[in-house]
Parts: sequence; structure tokens; C-alpha cells
Amino acid sequence: MTTGSVPKRFSIPIGPQHPALKEPGHFDFSVDGEVVTGATVRLGYAHRGIEKAAENQNWVQNLYLLERICGICSHIHATAYCLGVEKLADVEAPPRAQAIRVLIAELERVHSHLLWLGVTAHEAGFDTLFMYSWRDRETVMDILESLTGNRVNYSANMLGGVKFDVTDDNRKAIERGVNFLETRTRHYLNVVTTDQVFVQRTRGVGVITREQAEQLGVIGPTARASGVLRDVRVEAPYAAYRDIPVQPVIETAGDLEARFVVRLKELFESYRLIRVILEQMPPGDLNVRMPRRPKAGEAISRVEAPRGELFYFIKSNGADNPERVKVRTPTLCNMASVLVTAVGQQLADVPMILAGIDPCFSCNDRAVTISKAGDATSAVWSWQQLRQYSQAYYRRRL
Amino acid sequence: MTTEDRLRQAQEALSPWAQEADAPEPVRLDIVLDRSHLPSAVAALMNIRWGYLVAITGLDLGAEAKQYEVLYHFGSGAALLTLRVRIAHADSVVPSITGIIPAASVAERELSEMFGIRVIGLLDQSRLFLPDDWPDGVYPLRKDAVLEK
Repeated sequence: MTTGSVPKRFSIPIGPQHPALKEPGHFDFSVDGEVVTGATVRLGYAHRGIEKAAENQNWVQNLYLLERICGICSHIHATAYCLGVEKLADVEAPPRAQAIRVLIAELERVHSHLLWLGVTAHEAGFDTLFMYSWRDRETVMDILESLTGNRVNYSANMLGGVKFDVTDDNRKAIERGVNFLETRTRHYLNVVTTDQVFVQRTRGVGVITREQAEQLGVIGPTARASGVLRDVRVEAPYAAYRDIPVQPVIETAGDLEARFVVRLKELFESYRLIRVILEQMPPGDLNVRMPRRPKAGEAISRVEAPRGELFYFIKSNGADNPERVKVRTPTLCNMASVLVTAVGQQLADVPMILAGIDPCFSCNDRAVTISKAGDATSAVWSWQQLRQYSQAYYRRRL
Repeated sequence: MTTEDRLRQAQEALSPWAQEADAPEPVRLDIVLDRSHLPSAVAALMNIRWGYLVAITGLDLGAEAKQYEVLYHFGSGAALLTLRVRIAHADSVVPSITGIIPAASVAERELSEMFGIRVIGLLDQSRLFLPDDWPDGVYPLRKDAVLEK
């Protein structure tokens, strides 16, 4: 055994196949014993070059492309894009369409928060909560499917409005589902705040103070759990939120427990909003005519995704395709908080801290690099090549 | 504070460096700056605790203008402030603002790998989104980028 220099610190690589999440991201944690002393991040494993691709598609095609940035919060991406393009074209979607957009957005938030609850409970080793919360999440998935025909990528939006109406049957099904979920959420809130074993994993862990949250530019439920009110629905209401004010949920502890409490309490607010929208659904058309090409100009569109503020910058030069579409997703803002709060924590708590911000890597990473199996050379494929490949692939399978 | 007050406050704080100011929407304020004044302007905003950095957008203004434009978006409530810095293609360098806002690091890394804009003072210059085997000198969001192999 050599007695050379003893390394002062160990570096532990986590990922890209991430043990805590079902999405790829690479973290490097330096540790002193069990305590984290530093952290770095490398993203891009799910980068698909969507911003570049958006410059080569026309305005309508982009709706489908951008909706596929995220499989969890697809609707909110489409909404942000539609609101931005409508602003450029000086068109406003009819009130009924705005209400349906918000209805789907809140149902999406319910599904996203319940999904997060399950994942994070699983990180804590609380698989019973994981199984139950995902069972209940099926209720809202069924509602979304009956409304739109899809469990994910609902494709509810179109430029100038929405594609479908909410029928009386839908309404009854949504009310039934929301009533059931409300009782279940009350139970979960009770569990995550009283279960002694679970609370030991969350109380006082991964604290982000109010000052840190403001300084790091943290947004969404993560900010609201640290006492910072950042909610686009409240601060700069859009679509039907202008008529239906949202009550923000704020906690001040800033630890993981507060992040659980904020998201669960937000579910109650979502249930309330869903009921109000169903009661006060304005009559009228579902869409208005949109010009094929919006005027030249720039528009900024901000919406509140389940994970926080989603920001779209859209530039048009009056052509068939946008000049530039910039997407800034909430995870990018919150990622810095993980790197900072992990320092000084136990390594075993890191998966929970990471899951605590509800990171979404697909949102975050947006070129396509293909490595063919058995072929050491990898090539960057064009969109056309990728399309031809996918068509040939599916033809072979038929 | 109302949105108008917030915007007025930002405009006053930035007045020493503002070359042009424009309000494209009632809740927005766009201010054009010279890049050398960017850190002072951002520090002035942070000193009065005006909002937070929402995003950094890079724009390639094309072969005719031969310019890039870097937009620093700040948000405070409903108010949205955009600091616009124009730089020539031949001299695509901007100063880093990470000395004032450390969390800007990820946004600046994205800007530099996507547009090939050099960010002076950014400590971590490694790639954030592009793969390890991405060819050097190819910046995908430039308008003249050739992506086919």
C-alpha cells in the first residue's frame, strides 16, 4: 500500500444516467467524508436544438415543435408561444378560449405536482406514498385524456384560440375527479407534515433562505417555499387569470418540507380555480382568425409553468418563419440553487435536494447527435435526415 | 409599487448609461447600452434591489447588419426591463455580469457556446448544453451556421 499524498477531497460523479431522476444530467460533487463541499453541473444530454429548429419551421408548425419541449408541462409551452405570437399579430383569443387554456393549465399543474410528490417520496424511500400518489394522479390523467384525447402533449392550443370545447359530460367528470383528489391531497398534506420518519428527511434539509432565494433568482414553488412571492399568475396575470385572481401560497421555512407544503397547498388552489372556471365559463367562440404571418416585431411572453416562470422571447421579421424563438425554462433558474444548497449537506440528502426543485431536464436542454450502435463514428444529422430515418424506421416495423 | 413606478425607478437608475430608451409595451422598458457600461448598469440595478435576471437572449442580426445583439431581461413584478447591447460580428465580446449576479453563469455559458460570443470574466467557460464531441468553432444559433456534415 502506498503512502503517497492523501487526496484532500473525493469527487463523486453522479449521472448522466441519474440515480434520482428518470432524466439525464451530470453532477460532480466533491465531498469531505459524507459532507458535500462543492458541486458542478453539466447539462445537455437531452438537448435537441429546438430553438434552432424553430427558425426553420413556419409559425403553425412551431406550435407542435415547442409543445414537445417537455412531456410534463407541454401545454404551458404551447400557451406561452401562442400568447406571444398573438401579441405580435395583434390578435386576442376569445374569452372562452382563454378560460379553457387556463383550465388545462391548472389540470396540468395538478398532474405535475402529483408526479413530483411521487418522485420525491420515492427519493426519500417512501415508496408507499409514491405508489398512492401516482395511482391518484391517474384521475387527472383520465380527465386530460377525455378532454383532449391525449395523456401528454394535449395539443389544446392553436394560434388564435383552442381546438376543443368543454362539454357538460366533461364538466361532471372534472368535478368528480377534483372532489376525489381534494380529499386525497388533504391526506397527503397530513402525511408529509406528520410522518416522523419522512419529516426527518425533509425538515431543516436543503434550506434556501429568503436572501439566498432573491440573490440566486430562484422562481416558482421553490421561491415561494422560501418566502419570495414569484408567481406570474399573480404578478402579471395572463389569459383568464386576469378575471380569476390566484391566491399565492407562501411558506417561509425554505427547507424541503416547505417545498412539499407549498406544492400540496397549491393543489388546493388549483382545484378551486378549476371549479371557478367551470362555473364561470364564458360563452362564445373558441378561436379567431390569425394572419398567416405576424407583423415584424418582438414579443415577450411569460407564464407560470408548474415549476415556475416560463419565458419566451419571439422575434418576427414578417416572414413565414420566426426570426428567433428563445425559451428560458424554470429549471435553469433553479439549478443554481441546488449547487449552492448542496454544499454543507450530507451526500445522502443530495438526491432529495435535487428533486426538491422539481428539475425538468428535457425542458432545460433543447442539435441532434446520433451514435449508431456498433459504429464508432457519430454524426450530426440534419432535420431532413432525421425525418427520413424515422420514416424508414417505422416503415420497417410495419 | 405600481409597474409604472418600477419602470421609472429602473430608468432613473440607468440614466447615466442609457443611449436609447423605448417602451414596446406598457409593462416593458428597453434600454440600449454600450457593452463597457453593462456591469455598472447591472450593479446599479442590483444596488436598488430591482428585480432579478430572468434570461439572457442572443440575437444574430444577420449578414447585412453584421451584428449580434445580447438582451439581458430583468423582471420585477409585472415590469420587464431589457438591457440591449449591440456588438459587431468581428468583435463579439461582452463583459460577464457573474461578478454581480453569480447565477448568470449558466445563461452566459449558453450564450457563448450557442453564438460564439466571448464572455470576458466568466470563470467556467466549459460547455453547458452542446455535446462533448461537438465540432469546435460551430456555433449553432448563428444565422450562418452550417450544421450538416
